Amino acid sequence: MATRIRLKRIGAHKAPFYRIVVSNSRSPRDGRFIEEIGYYNPVAEPAVVNINEEKALQWLQDGAQASDTVRNLLSKAGVLKKFHELKNQK
Amino acid sequence: MSCKVFFLDGGECPLVSQENRLEKTNRVNLLFDFYEPLLTEKQQTFLKYYFHDDFSLGEIASEFDISRQAVYEHIKRAEQMLEVYEDKLGLLGKQMKRAGELENLRRLLEEDNFTDVHKETALDLVRRLQEW
Repeated sequence: MATRIRLKRIGAHKAPFYRIVVSNSRSPRDGRFIEEIGYYNPVAEPAVVNINEEKALQWLQDGAQASDTVRNLLSKAGVLKKFHELKNQK
Repeated sequence: MSCKVFFLDGGECPLVSQENRLEKTNRVNLLFDFYEPLLTEKQQTFLKYYFHDDFSLGEIASEFDISRQAVYEHIKRAEQMLEVYEDKLGLLGKQMKRAGELENLRRLLEEDNFTDVHKETALDLVRRLQEW
């Protein structure tokens, strides 16, 4: 079963806030996830992103697939670049 | 444990489509907060999977045992409906405008030396908010 890194919306009505979570590809949307590795708050000016870089890199190296939105956040945080550098070292 | 906190300042991003994807997720989720009850049950379900939980079209398709194209059509149609409702009712636009004015009002009221000029400006803001 594939492992995915996705955004999970939480937060109040009309004030979106997202967790960046690792979950199984097939796990239904009942809130279960393996691990939370950060958050994204688009309401703040400017938007705030917090990513646990170590964990993100580890999950990526273990073959977890990031969704488009998460890829976007990871590349902005420079995590994807590090991931590729690590991969090329091998 | 290393954590990375940073701010999105709209800095350069080579992948414009990805950038749009994030913005789109935010917009659709906000619209959905306002107009969710106006959509069909199916539209609500697919939008939640796609925009609240970030599932891919393929994952939703296999979850419901329908084609990826069918999921895409449902979501596209639902998005269009949300924009139609916003065009007609403008609830999100009004809410954002109101939130902006209230933020201005809060800042005014927190002024250290609150003068009569501040008071006049604050009252103006309140009057404007009342008219909406």
